[in-house]
Amino acid sequence: MGQMDELAVGIKKDADMPDASANGDEMSAAPDDAVAFTDKPARKTRKTSPAKKTTPKKARQTKRRARAALRAQAPETDVLAELPDVQEELDANPELQRRNQALADELLHEVEMVIKRLMRLSPAYKTNLAVPQEVQEALGENAETVAESAGGASMLKRLQKLLPGEMLDTDTLKGLWTMLKFTGEYQVDVLKRRMTGDYETDEWGMDQEFIDAVRPLFDFLYNRYWRVTMTGLENIPDEGRTLLVSNHSGQLPFDGAMIGTGILQNHPAARMMRALYANWFPTLPFVSDILTKTGQVMANDENAERLLRQDHLVAVFPEGYKGVGKLYKDRYHLARFGRGGFVRIALKTRAPMIPVAVVGAEETYISLYKSQTLAKLVGFPYFPISPTFPWLGPLGLIPLPTKWYIDIGEPIHTDRYPEGSENNLMLISQLTDQVRDTVQKMINDRLRMRKSIFMG
Amino acid sequence: MAEKRVIVVTGVAGYWGNRVAARLRDHDDVHVIGIDSETPQENVDGLDFVQADLRNPLLVDFLQEEQVETIIHLKFRETLMPSESAFEENVMGTAKLLGACGEAGVKRVILKSSLMVYGARPDNPMFLREDHPHNGPKKCGYIRDWIEIEKYAESFHDQNPDTILTILRFGHIVGPKADTPMTRFLRDEEAITLLGFDPMMQVIHEDDVVGALVHAAQGEYRGAFNVAPEKGMPLWKTLGLASKLPIPILHPLAYWSVSLGGARLAPMPLDYLRFPCMGDMTRMRDVLQFTPQYTPEETVREFSAQQRVRKLFGKKSRELFEQDRLRDTIQRRKRLREREGERKPARHKSA
Repeated sequence: MGQMDELAVGIKKDADMPDASANGDEMSAAPDDAVAFTDKPARKTRKTSPAKKTTPKKARQTKRRARAALRAQAPETDVLAELPDVQEELDANPELQRRNQALADELLHEVEMVIKRLMRLSPAYKTNLAVPQEVQEALGENAETVAESAGGASMLKRLQKLLPGEMLDTDTLKGLWTMLKFTGEYQVDVLKRRMTGDYETDEWGMDQEFIDAVRPLFDFLYNRYWRVTMTGLENIPDEGRTLLVSNHSGQLPFDGAMIGTGILQNHPAARMMRALYANWFPTLPFVSDILTKTGQVMANDENAERLLRQDHLVAVFPEGYKGVGKLYKDRYHLARFGRGGFVRIALKTRAPMIPVAVVGAEETYISLYKSQTLAKLVGFPYFPISPTFPWLGPLGLIPLPTKWYIDIGEPIHTDRYPEGSENNLMLISQLTDQVRDTVQKMINDRLRMRKSIFMG
Repeated sequence: MAEKRVIVVTGVAGYWGNRVAARLRDHDDVHVIGIDSETPQENVDGLDFVQADLRNPLLVDFLQEEQVETIIHLKFRETLMPSESAFEENVMGTAKLLGACGEAGVKRVILKSSLMVYGARPDNPMFLREDHPHNGPKKCGYIRDWIEIEKYAESFHDQNPDTILTILRFGHIVGPKADTPMTRFLRDEEAITLLGFDPMMQVIHEDDVVGALVHAAQGEYRGAFNVAPEKGMPLWKTLGLASKLPIPILHPLAYWSVSLGGARLAPMPLDYLRFPCMGDMTRMRDVLQFTPQYTPEETVREFSAQQRVRKLFGKKSRELFEQDRLRDTIQRRKRLREREGERKPARHKSA
């Protein structure tokens, strides 16, 4: 890096002119590359020894690079369009100006020190010998702007992108290598641990390491892809058995995953949601594995009751296949809420039921028709035909990036009903209808507010 | 001699009968009679051995004459494919024995069964209760025999409500010496798995099996009990602990090759490698009041340590106490002491 210093010396000469910092308009002509050259030596001179600086070979290199920089400095480059912004930023921000000034002063001071040391080492040294006339002149025109904005924060960042000088540094490479090695060793260690069975799952098969590994994907879907807006999180208690009752939609059960992700991300207690899934999923390879490892559980009365007695946060989708496999024309019309089994379990375990409305998931796939024949043929509970699905193969499985809303309603408490209410069929059907109506009303409210399927 | 309880253990020539008879001999108030149609290869010291077939009609007279209090029925021949001779021996033998017990007024009958009788199915609850229907695959010899035996046991219970009938349904039994479907599954260096499936399973140590059978002979525990450690483990974790290489096969392919006669591909029906089949241990804990000593991890670790030793020093080698194993043993004894410490004050309180 020592070869840069001659250039810095050149700059110093012109920057010393008394009216250097006065001319702000000149700045538009300052090329990034030129700044790069001035910035680098300012930071590196502290390390390099002055003795190395005047080797003719390095001086020649410097000249070549400086010329190249000048050639790149044509006034009509794109960079120019961006520069006034920097100026505005500078004008608007006194803090930036102050820092800018301090850095410029430091740069000037260091350049001065270098020249002094050079003079001391070789009294015959003359700066104009090392820097050709044309470079001096070019630099002279821009010197004030360069000196002024060398410390600008946005400029610095842009410079670092343009010239990754650190990549040539052995320390950087060593550091990179160490990081890579560490990551590799860590991965191998994890793999080894998993291969020798040294990991824990809970009694339902939930595997925290697996969740940590797949969570970025769900976070991406939640935050970026479907840009989910979640409301009413305060209705979910921090602890204790709770039953979320949600509408089901979207052909594939992404709605459960998004409710779970949202609660994990935004709820103060970061509760782990256990969704109950239909009995078709455990027959599918990988799907069954992933569902189990992320803590989801097969839907049946025994599992639901046990989970609630263990004070988990459980989510049910009582519409089942009828809901998830809805046709596009039937979207947001809730199907029958099963036989109210979830109400019976909630009454039995005295768990509050919280209605949840998911809006936006219906439009992720556009199911135009359900083929009974194909469903029977491949053993699916339903087989949607969409504009893309069977025709584009796996590509047709990519959901549309709609905007989602998940609204969590107020809890319906079950502990005010007397003991043994779980056998009261009237009460069960009444409560089932109540929950269903609540969810439908929440969906309708949201749909009224929604202006666009994709933008919300 | 007269005041001693007489316990008959069937199948003493087999592994389980042998182990249980040997364990029962430690109880001073018990006289153990072993019955089997063949003489045991490994002699239990001082065992009162009677050579008899369970289907012999004179069995009633024998039970009456000896004033047998308890029968632990452990005679069972495991066949992978349904076999008529095994069915005759297992199911009809049990039916005849149960009939004889009813006739002779035996106080207590203990049967050994398996959690596999519930069958591994996608719609199973994660933890099956004892009253769950037996949906196990009929195409597998030993599971079919267990289901049939349980059917006979149920009708026997209806006809003889006074007899204490205890059925212990064990999880997958693993141990350094036992020969069970699960140990056969874990025997080779590689194990067949189904691609994309990793069911939870409950693994119980062979010593705990013997312990539970002996424990059941000491009290009045009516009905069926699931017996296994409460904590299940995923299949892949089990394979990892046993240092086996899982070989995932696409499941239609695996089912297809089994149906084409490759039944020896896996020593248990493939459904058990696909769906969970685990028992709810509430009744074991609260009614049977039995707690397995070994955690599933310890069980599988010990099994694989034993296998390594066998591979190096041949089948006859004695147990080698490795570091892992001693650590597990220390932990286990500590837990046992703690548990007994807990139980004693509780007993004191109730008194």
